[in-house]
Amino acid sequence: MPKQYGMVIDLQRCVGCGACALACKTENNTQNRANGQTFNWADFIYREEGKFPKVSYTAIPVLCNHCSDAPCVKACPVNPKAMFKTADGITMHNDDRCLGCRRCQKACPYSSTDVTRDGAAYSVISASDAREGVHPFYRDTTELIPGCTTSGAETAGKAGGLPPHHHHYDHPDYRSVRNKGLTEKCIFCEHRVKKGELPNCVVACPAKARIFGDLNDAASEPAKLLKAHKAMRLKVEKKTRPNVAYIRSFRGEKKI
Amino acid sequence: MKIKRRDFLKITAATGAVATVGLPKLNAFAQSGAEKAAAGSAGEWVPSTCQGCTAWCPTEFLVQDGRITKVRGNQLSKANGGYVCPRGHMMIQQTYDPDRVKVPMKRTNPAKGRGIDPKFVPITWDEALDTIADRMMELRKANEPHKFMYMRGRYSPTSTDIAYGTVAKIFGSPHSYSHSAICAEAEKMGSGYTQGFFGYRDYDLAKTKCLVVWGCDPLSSNRQVPNAIAKFSDILDRGTVIAVDPRMSTTVAKAHDWLPIKPGEDGALAAAIAHVLLTEGMWSKEFVGDFKDGKNLFKAGASVDEAAFVEKQTHGVVKWWNLELKDKTPAWAAKKTLIPEDQIIKTARSMGKAGSACAVWMGPGVAMNPRGTYASMAVYALNGILGSIETEGGVFQSSSAPTEKFPGFDNYVDEIAKKSGKEKKLDGRGAKDMPAILGGIDKVKEKDGTVKESLKVGVVTNNVANGMLKNPDAVKVFIGSWCNFNFSCTGAERWDKAMAKVPFFVHLTTNASEMSQFADIVLPATFAPTEKLSIITNMANLHGHMSIQQSVAKPLWKVKSEETEFVWLLAEKLKARGFANLIDYFATEFKDPETGKTPTNAAEFEEIAAKITSQKVWNGKEKMKGDQISGWAEFRKKGIYNSETYKYKKNWGKENPETKKFEGHFKTETKKFEFYSETLKKALKMHADKHKTTIDDVLKVSGYEAQGELAFVPHYESPKRHGSEKEYPFTFIDYKSRLNREGRSANTTWYQEFKKVDVGDDAWDDVVKINPADGKKLGIKTGDTVRLTSTTGSIVAKAKLWEGVRPGTVAKCFGQGHWAYGKVAAKDYAKALPRGGNNNELMPDDYDRLSGSTARNGGFTGVKIEKI
Repeated sequence: MPKQYGMVIDLQRCVGCGACALACKTENNTQNRANGQTFNWADFIYREEGKFPKVSYTAIPVLCNHCSDAPCVKACPVNPKAMFKTADGITMHNDDRCLGCRRCQKACPYSSTDVTRDGAAYSVISASDAREGVHPFYRDTTELIPGCTTSGAETAGKAGGLPPHHHHYDHPDYRSVRNKGLTEKCIFCEHRVKKGELPNCVVACPAKARIFGDLNDAASEPAKLLKAHKAMRLKVEKKTRPNVAYIRSFRGEKKI
Repeated sequence: MKIKRRDFLKITAATGAVATVGLPKLNAFAQSGAEKAAAGSAGEWVPSTCQGCTAWCPTEFLVQDGRITKVRGNQLSKANGGYVCPRGHMMIQQTYDPDRVKVPMKRTNPAKGRGIDPKFVPITWDEALDTIADRMMELRKANEPHKFMYMRGRYSPTSTDIAYGTVAKIFGSPHSYSHSAICAEAEKMGSGYTQGFFGYRDYDLAKTKCLVVWGCDPLSSNRQVPNAIAKFSDILDRGTVIAVDPRMSTTVAKAHDWLPIKPGEDGALAAAIAHVLLTEGMWSKEFVGDFKDGKNLFKAGASVDEAAFVEKQTHGVVKWWNLELKDKTPAWAAKKTLIPEDQIIKTARSMGKAGSACAVWMGPGVAMNPRGTYASMAVYALNGILGSIETEGGVFQSSSAPTEKFPGFDNYVDEIAKKSGKEKKLDGRGAKDMPAILGGIDKVKEKDGTVKESLKVGVVTNNVANGMLKNPDAVKVFIGSWCNFNFSCTGAERWDKAMAKVPFFVHLTTNASEMSQFADIVLPATFAPTEKLSIITNMANLHGHMSIQQSVAKPLWKVKSEETEFVWLLAEKLKARGFANLIDYFATEFKDPETGKTPTNAAEFEEIAAKITSQKVWNGKEKMKGDQISGWAEFRKKGIYNSETYKYKKNWGKENPETKKFEGHFKTETKKFEFYSETLKKALKMHADKHKTTIDDVLKVSGYEAQGELAFVPHYESPKRHGSEKEYPFTFIDYKSRLNREGRSANTTWYQEFKKVDVGDDAWDDVVKINPADGKKLGIKTGDTVRLTSTTGSIVAKAKLWEGVRPGTVAKCFGQGHWAYGKVAAKDYAKALPRGGNNNELMPDDYDRLSGSTARNGGFTGVKIEKI
């Protein structure tokens, strides 16, 4: 059976701290939110219910669901597709073939073409501006106190990277810092996975709440967890067959 | 329809319906400059230490081609298991903050005040140091070196002995003040005056069966975040987690049960839980002891004969019962705390069931309030009743790693310095109404065998501003490092006033912060975790650690380590002006432990200082009980030494079979765990004697309610509140952000983008959480802009109606509200407009005077809310 990489997120282990999302930003050099695009490949949504003092709060980490029936792939108009499924079931994005047409973003039920306009809490797919260069924050030459404090551009120049903390890696399909005018999203850190490493959000999670592996391998950790627990997936009614699943609840379940 | 790349130009016209960001370009033609950086090395992980909170986690940074790219916990660390919390990652954006001060700068506008542009211009390090040395020498020449002051914010625990411990003393001033007392120090009173341990506690979370998290959120802050995050879920599976907090925190959201206590009533709840544990016979027989005939005589309202009970490791349980607990029923506490009686009883039973595997994790919410010492003692003493002191799953004193002290400097303190160094301190410590007896009683054995006892009095950081305002002539030259008291202290406006009057202020800082706006010279400090060479010691998870902090990549700017390099350079300049004592001390006494060489420049001084403090763990002279490290080079490469694991019941006493005497190891007067604190009694007596008065008088003028014997046991004191309920109907709840790096991270975009990870908060905003029922009454909706006003100040924030707070209370996270620091943190730096509002401009300055700690919690601030 071919592989199907996927992730199980154990909400009881998760504390909603944000380390995964920040670690993703350092790994993949995603830029700051702008123009209704979050550029957060890993993000969060929240569910708050009840009335004081019987309230419940759940933080749900979100990322690309790497759907088995991925609408973003179907929508990609180029041939061969810029958004495609790898043999291991990762929804992959090829930077060079991408036109920046954003049909993938429009088709994805977990994405918004403008989170500000839509009031969307997150968007799996973001699109970078085609006119302005990437990371405008680190291209800005403004000095807060002229001659005394630095600027984004000076910092990036001296550090030798854009962004200045540019974490460099190589991958045949995507770049560690992507060019302008493209769509982008979580690619399960395939540049790591192919070296036998786990995605950076997984290794950075201090709660060990993110469990990654081949869902088709019954002996894998995520497959075992899916067998042991009832899983929740986002927007199952869209029939995209997400490969990111959630188990257990944020609150400790036992009654005292 | 299938489209090939070469068909691109054709398709753009056909895809008019699809939204595009600007004009799509075939990116083969749009190579960005970043692309050229391309093929670099895979990088190397370099160890250092995070100082984003008080955990001081050993970390590692991935460095590629001289760039800092990623962060993780030090893989060898037993304190954090190789993980960092979200704070760790933000060190990257702090290092590469576009608003960092890159060169020394000086003020050209003599007018000082909030919102007044200092008109800073760049200067050289040499000019800066010359100016500072000239100003300092003027003090020496005028025979008033005591008008020099040094204050520190975050520091390195080992090099602190250089800047904080040495400069003012050798120069001749009593004015060295640390930031310590503004954070959580009153917590130490709880374990200090019961167990003789004036420090922050550790926990055996891998074994805890019942965890009671009280007045803090260890998943977000409070001293060992990655360890708490790692072990929390297993405790939920293994046992019971109970959260006591007036607002919904992450811990509350995950806990099995939440006790949303009325702010400031923690002492009442603790007393009632103790009452239930005793009346229901759930105290630890092994730790506390038992009634002689085994029959439980603890009955509500009834005094007990002290002789009927035989204690083991504790002292005064019956006295405590008689003086305080016998009437503190759950029904009584329910009225005070607003926690239902049955929930209090249920909580006590859950705790009692877990017994010595129940850990009460107390945080600043309990202690940092105007009468916090006693609440701190009451909550902490529950661990004593349960016998969970140093037990499997229980509560521990801190572990440590062995450091070596710097050589003494007595020979370098000249006559002028000796004399002026004895001038009165500005922070009011030790005054009749400010005992600040945070360290208990110091005992020094004299040569003749007698023991000399004195009170260990602590700093009252926030009171320094009051001292400066009262006596504007007291400080003429002020150097501050990594501090920002105009932002971080309650009653912040007092600091604005006090700082405006300082004739010459030098600020060592990474960013032009609020306090920098009052500076005459601003010096670019290292961002310690990635640029400073120093040694850090701390503990968590039953291990102490010593870790290196070092320049993991070449700093981009002309920065200096504020505690070592700067001090050396300043000492050189003072020597050139005729005052050589400081440089002579450093250049003569500091010797490289490997080569015996003395330092000849600032960089060598910094490294030798680090080697001196860390040498015990790597020099091989003494076999270490923890990690084995063969030398400085290996220590620098690994970046960490882990101590041995804390031994259970380490300080429990035993009867000496020969003398039949009990030999205990707790550092109290009785060597036992004191429910009746002979230690506090003695300390208060010493303080009262010093002022030729009574303990009752001291307590009264210091604002406490207790008189007589009650003052020596953990007990309930009613909360003090600034502002009447009529005029200021809402009780304000302040707490820390899990992204706060001690107030220094708000200028990172990642802080703002993920501000929402603080339960109930919004990204890029600063919200005050109001119960929807109150919102309805006030006609306030989520998203409205509101003004909060207290008796002393006023701030503006965004309203958020939220069920996570009790009606009548409002909660707001501390962290936003910067009106300086940088273009991300402030709404408009040039106009000094804040993003959100700083809680410290709302909360007045008040103190738990027994400890000298600044009040932040316990509902001491009443506010009114207006829609604007």
